[in-house]
Formats: sequence, structure tokens, C-alpha cells
Amino acid sequence: MKARSWLRGAAGIGTSLLCLLVLTFVIGRVMPLDPVLAIVGPDADRSTYEQVYRQLGLDQPLWVQFGRYLLSLAQGDLGQALLTGNPVTSDLLRVLPATAELATLALLIGVLLGVPLGVLAATHYGRWPDHLARVLGLLGHSTPVFWFGMMGLLVFYAWLGWAGGIGRIGLAFEGNVPTVTGLLTLDAIIAGDGAAWRSAMRHLLLPAAVLGLHTMAYLSRMTRSFMLAQLSQEYILTARVKGLTERQVVWGHAFRNIRVQLLTIVALAYGGLLEGAVLTETVFGWPGFGSYLTGSLLLGDMNAVMGSVLVIGVLFVSLNLLTDALYRVFDPRAAA
Amino acid sequence: MTPFDLPRLSRRQWWCAAAAALGSGPLHAQPTTAADQLLVGMSMNNLLSLDPAAATGLDALAVGCNLYDSLLETEAQEPARLMPALARVWDVRQSGRRLVFQLREDVRFASGKPLLAEHAAWSMQRVLKLNLAPASVWKSYGFTAARVHSDIQATDPFTLQIDLPQPTDPHLVLLTLATSMSALVLDRDVILANESRGDQGAAWLTTHAAGSGAFTLQTWRPKELLILRRQPAHWRGAARLQRVVMRHMTESQTLRLMLSRGDLDLASGLSAPDVKALSRRADLAVESVRRGNIYYVAVNARHPTFADERVRRAVLRHLIDFEGLTGSVLTSFGQAHQRPVPAGLPASLPSPGYRLDALQARQLLAEAGLANGFDTTIRVMAEAPFTAIATSLQATLGQAGIRARIQPGTGNQVYGAMRERKFEIIVGRGGGGAEAHPHSSLRALVYNPDNRDSAKLTNFQGWRTGHADPTLNALIEQALIEPDAQRQQALYQQAQQRVHETVGGMQAIAAVTDTHVVRREVQGYVGHPSGATRLRDVFKRAPA
Repeated sequence: MKARSWLRGAAGIGTSLLCLLVLTFVIGRVMPLDPVLAIVGPDADRSTYEQVYRQLGLDQPLWVQFGRYLLSLAQGDLGQALLTGNPVTSDLLRVLPATAELATLALLIGVLLGVPLGVLAATHYGRWPDHLARVLGLLGHSTPVFWFGMMGLLVFYAWLGWAGGIGRIGLAFEGNVPTVTGLLTLDAIIAGDGAAWRSAMRHLLLPAAVLGLHTMAYLSRMTRSFMLAQLSQEYILTARVKGLTERQVVWGHAFRNIRVQLLTIVALAYGGLLEGAVLTETVFGWPGFGSYLTGSLLLGDMNAVMGSVLVIGVLFVSLNLLTDALYRVFDPRAAA
Repeated sequence: MTPFDLPRLSRRQWWCAAAAALGSGPLHAQPTTAADQLLVGMSMNNLLSLDPAAATGLDALAVGCNLYDSLLETEAQEPARLMPALARVWDVRQSGRRLVFQLREDVRFASGKPLLAEHAAWSMQRVLKLNLAPASVWKSYGFTAARVHSDIQATDPFTLQIDLPQPTDPHLVLLTLATSMSALVLDRDVILANESRGDQGAAWLTTHAAGSGAFTLQTWRPKELLILRRQPAHWRGAARLQRVVMRHMTESQTLRLMLSRGDLDLASGLSAPDVKALSRRADLAVESVRRGNIYYVAVNARHPTFADERVRRAVLRHLIDFEGLTGSVLTSFGQAHQRPVPAGLPASLPSPGYRLDALQARQLLAEAGLANGFDTTIRVMAEAPFTAIATSLQATLGQAGIRARIQPGTGNQVYGAMRERKFEIIVGRGGGGAEAHPHSSLRALVYNPDNRDSAKLTNFQGWRTGHADPTLNALIEQALIEPDAQRQQALYQQAQQRVHETVGGMQAIAAVTDTHVVRREVQGYVGHPSGATRLRDVFKRAPA
């Protein structure tokens, strides 16, 4: 029975990913972008254009092109990216750690600030901490991340000199840290290069804080709402009547009961961050997944786009599976 | 206790933790640019391949000319003057149909192998065989993949012989050898060792290099980072910089911030206001390099409205605010220029003096039966300075009753439509000019030997705009093979005069200039008009 359920789940995931690929492929082919022109340049003559057109297999019917893609995919080959000339797999292995490093720290900032702020707002409903949380939430939500990034650079990089500038590390350190994990801060530690680690951290903190502020705004509003719903329940009244401290009531009872809901939105927020914070990556010159996907899309580089979309699909599925597994830890009813 | 329980620290412990976090070293380290590195911020949007047989554009040449050597070079200050490089001496024989080059004997590739004439021949043969965009210029000289082995060959280890398949100006071919990415000499053995399925190393060379240049390729991550490392055994002596680090950066504001903080030595692609702001700083210098290509407005002469020469004259000669554009929008992008041939060549003519004259334009439109104007579309790349030019054009067209809609897009979409002749008006940039020779620009911009749709001469902007003038074509062809320099110059001037008298499908607005902002510590950096900016003599002196 359990095996059948797993099989059904796997079939569902496979079908979803295939639909995603079909949709992306069709959209990619109807977009008014010419990958041949991206390769040969606007001044190429006719024979060169037609030669590259054939080399890319664009002279074949759509179903043949898609069939070939699936065949390669089945062999673990995502094809060659036009944008970089590299296999798409190696490109993704390069850009994903860059985004993962940024997104993970941003999520950490978002959770560590957003969740306590949400709890604080709920426990001080209608009073100044609640108003402060609302203002911060509004600020985080309504201010364009692009503007926040530029202002952050101006204040913390240009004026105060606290933050690093553009990119993942100072230009003078580029190419000096051997790639092991792709996470530059970790690789610098592995290489034992303290100066490179400091430079990488200084470059990471500001963009992560900008992204984290947005995540914080979202998480604080959601946490507040979940907590308010719990704090109005009768079991909270019972706990207070029993003489428990306010800390025990809030963190030991109310908060325990919102963990599953919180987990869902944290997972969704992380998925969103991993999918690519294009604007943040653009402002901070961060060579991550979002920049890669956008650049590929604008060039009509369909191998890279399809590979990226597949990764996004797999990421969301993985996060869902992870969340399901964690439900069982936090909610005994789900484990039963 | 739950995983979300807050740690219980005393107030004193909280203060200590906060002080430790704020006072920790990493947040306060100050960046410095190393003395033996050149740190560059630039857009790498057009840098897709490093293969000399595939790469297009000035950015690729700027990298390629530092990784590879060419037979000849030209001076940045005097781009028409040929200088020896791999070729010690050269000779034009058989009435200009044969070029013979005597190569230096002390040159080695970065792999350690000696550079021979057969490598130079193989490199050029490879360009024709792969038949990608850079082959276009060689095909225009009559070279074909089938015959290139007999036309370009090594007659001994250090002598290269090139037989021109058709009459042409040998000086133009020499200039191409000095300025084209496709004329760089490759390490055949290294490349063939990395060949895949008979591709002549094309896949490998997209992201690698195998040359004899002053630098080698340390790192290349497209649209992210490129690092050149000095080749200590270069035949001219080791470059003065240890490394050149180029980072892909497109935001003008961030380039400005990094320059101001001293984290960049050199930046390109800054907006006009940012260049203006930085020009006031004592530690930075603004340098502009005038290119051979132009910003233009083009119309489709095959379109019923623009088929009438009076309409083209009204739009291209009288409804562009030439002065306004070059005085404001194009200040850091271009210099006033209205002819297809670049300024500064012996055959160049003074400006014809076109200026905005809506009254004259309205008269011409009335004569063409369009007194009430018409509706049209301007296609334009959605980036500076194109959108600003298009906006200005939209306003000035409106002065004559022409209702223009701006349709922004990517370069791919805009030039794609132009190649298909499916446009009405385009604001663009282009037009050869890499070689300091009138033919380079005239051929790219106004030459059109076959105006039929089926001819698909997509590499000629003249064909793309659907305008062909047999008299002009004949003048251009005649000038190219004219052996007498003075008569050739007169023919090129007649061709320009012809362009002035008969309004074709394209009008130059300004000559393209690339503006760089450089730290004053950087010495010896001289931007080359053809894009072949060599960094071997660049160095950084200690800041004052």
C-alpha cells in the first residue's frame, strides 16, 4: 500500500515536470527571439545563418526537436548553452551554489528577524510593537528591491565602507579561491584564505540583508496572523488560568501550534529565493541562477532555459517533500 | 524546550555578543586594488565566444588581441598605418594580387611550441572552413573554403603567401589582417588535440584560448568574469601587469560607485550623467575612443511609404535633430557625423550640414501627397542611447505630422526584423569601419549589388534597407580596384557625394565613441579605434 502511494507520488511528480518542459519548450519556440542571430551576430551573411540554423536542428519539426531533447535528457545531458558555450549542467552547477549561498543567508536573516517580530506583534496586538511591525512589513513589501539595493550600496558601501561592492568577492581576489563546493565563503575557509573569506563575507552580507528584509516582511505578517488565530483559542485561556508564564503560553503553546503553517511559508519563501532574485542579482552583479535564466531567456537560449526550468521544478518538488517530512516531526497527527 | 526557544542570556552577555559582532574584523577590512592587476568593469553581453573564427564584436577583439598575436598591427593614434607584429616584413607582389609575409623566428605559443607560417595559414583556413560570421570579410575578398588551401599557404617555415582570388585593394586586406579577430594566429596542435567530432576545436575554443599573445586565459565564465594572466615568455617581453580581471557589470550606477571607491581601475558603459559626475574627480580620467561605425536612422525603402525618395529625404535629412542629439543624448556615446565614411581618412569629406527643418520636410511630404503625415513604427533596442534617440525622433517626426509609435526590443528582435526587411524605421548602430579604409564602411552601409528579396544579402545594410543605386555600387567597386591612391580617393569622394545627392535608406547621426573612465594611476592605456586595445604596456603607478 505504501509502495503504491510512493509510486503514485513519483508518477505525479514526473508528469508535472514533463508538462513543465512541454510548456517551456512551446513558449520558447513561439517567442520572437532568434538564437541563430545571437550566435552569428546581426551582420552575418545568409550562408552562415543557414548553416548555424541547421546545426542547431531548428530546421526539424518541433516534435522532433523536443523528442531529441527528451532523449538527451534521459541520458542526463541537458545540452549545450548558447550563452556560455558550456554544457548546461556545468553552468547550473556553477550558478546554483552562488544563489544558494545568497538565498540561504537571506532566509536565515528573514526567519531570525521576521518570526520573532511577528510573534511580538501578535502578543502586543494594537500597541506600538504591532504598529512598528506593520510599518516594517509595509516597508519591506512595498519598497522595490532594486531601490533598496542601490541605497544599501550607497550607504553601506560607498559612504560607510562596511559592505563589499559588486560581485561575490573583491576583484583582486577573483580566481584565487579554488572551487570545491561553489559556496565561496566555504571554499575560502577550505583554502585557508582569510583575506578572501573576509572579502566574500563583506560582499555577501548586504545583498543577503536586502533580500532578507523582503523575506522578513512576509514572514512577520504571516507569523502575526497565525499567532493571533492561536492566541484567541480557548486552550490559551486555559494555560493562562493554570498560571503558566507568558513566555510558556506564547512559545510553549501558541507558537508550537503554528510551526507546521510556518514551515510551509518558509519553504515557499526559500523556493522563491532560490528560483532567482533577478533584480538583487542585477544590482549586486551576483552571478546567480536568476541572472543566468534571464540572460538565457533574452537570448532565446532554449537549452539553458529548459535546464533552468527543470531545476526550478525539481527544487520546488524537493522542498515540498522536505516540508512533508518535517510535518511528521512537528505534527504527531501527520506521522500517525 | 522547542527548537524556537530563545537562548537565555543575561543583559551583560547580550551586550558582549553585540560588541563582538560589530567589532569583528571582516566588516572593517578595506579593499585595495593590487598594483600589478588591472581591474575592469564592463558589459560582457556581446562576449559570447572567444573563438577567433566565431566571435563577433569589439569586445571579443579587445580580449582576443591580448591572447593571440596577428601578422600586423595598426597604431591606435594612426589606425591606417601598418606596423610589424608576427610578420617582420611584408611585400605586395603581382600587381597587388599576392601578399608575402616574412615571420619572426623567435615566437613561441604559450604551449612552448614555435609559431610557424603554417600555423598562420591554418588559422585563416579554419575561419573559411567553419564559415561563421568572421568568415564574411574573407568571402568578400573572394576566398572560398574549397580553394583556401591553395590561396593561403606557407611556402617555408617562416614565409606566408596569400594570393588574392579577385582584384581588390591589397592595403584593405592588410588592414583586415591587422584588425580582424579572424586574422589572429592559433596554436593548431593544442586546438586539434581538443577537437570534437571534426569541429576544428570550435567547441573548445569557445571558452578556451591557445595563442602566443602577451596574456593567457586564466578564467572565463561567460557573462561573469574573465581573467588574463601575463605570459612571461612573450616574444616582446613580459607584460607589466600580472593579471587583468574583467567583470561583467551593466549597471552604470554600480560602476560609478566602484570607481569612486577605488575598487575598479577602468570602466566602460557608464551613462552620460555618471561620466559627467566622475569627470570632476581628480583621481579619474575620462577617455573617449572614436570607432569606425555609426549611430543611424534607417528606413525601409521597400515599404510603400518610404519607396518615395521625397519621403526618405524629409525623414532622414530634415526630421532628425542632429545638433540636439549629439549635444545632449549622445555626449558620451558619439560625435557628430553625417556621412557613411568615417572622419579622419584621406577620402573623408566635411559634414554636409543636415539639420532639423520641419518646414522643408512638410513641403516634401506635401509634394509626395502626404501633407497630413502618416502612421509609422520606430523599432529600437531598449537601452541607452537608442531609446533616447528614438524618443527625440518621434517628437521631430511629429513636427511634420508623422505619428510614430516606438517599438522597443532586444538587439536580436530589432536587427532580426531589419535582416528580414520587416520594419519601417529603425534606430541602430553598425557599419563596418574596423579597417581605416572607406570601402569597409561603404560596403557595410550603402553597397547593395542585388536588391531582390531572394538575394538575402543580410550582411549589407544597404540590402536590409531595400535601397540599391547601381551608380553608387559601380563607384564603390571601381574605387576598390583603383591602384592610384589619388584617383581612388577621388572615387570615394564621388561615392559620398552620390550618397548625399540620392537619399538611400540610411542616415548617419553620429560616429560611435566608446567612453572609458580610468583611474589616473593606470598608465599606458590607449583605446584602439578598431577595438584591438593591447594591454601589454599598461601598468599602474603608485597613487599620489
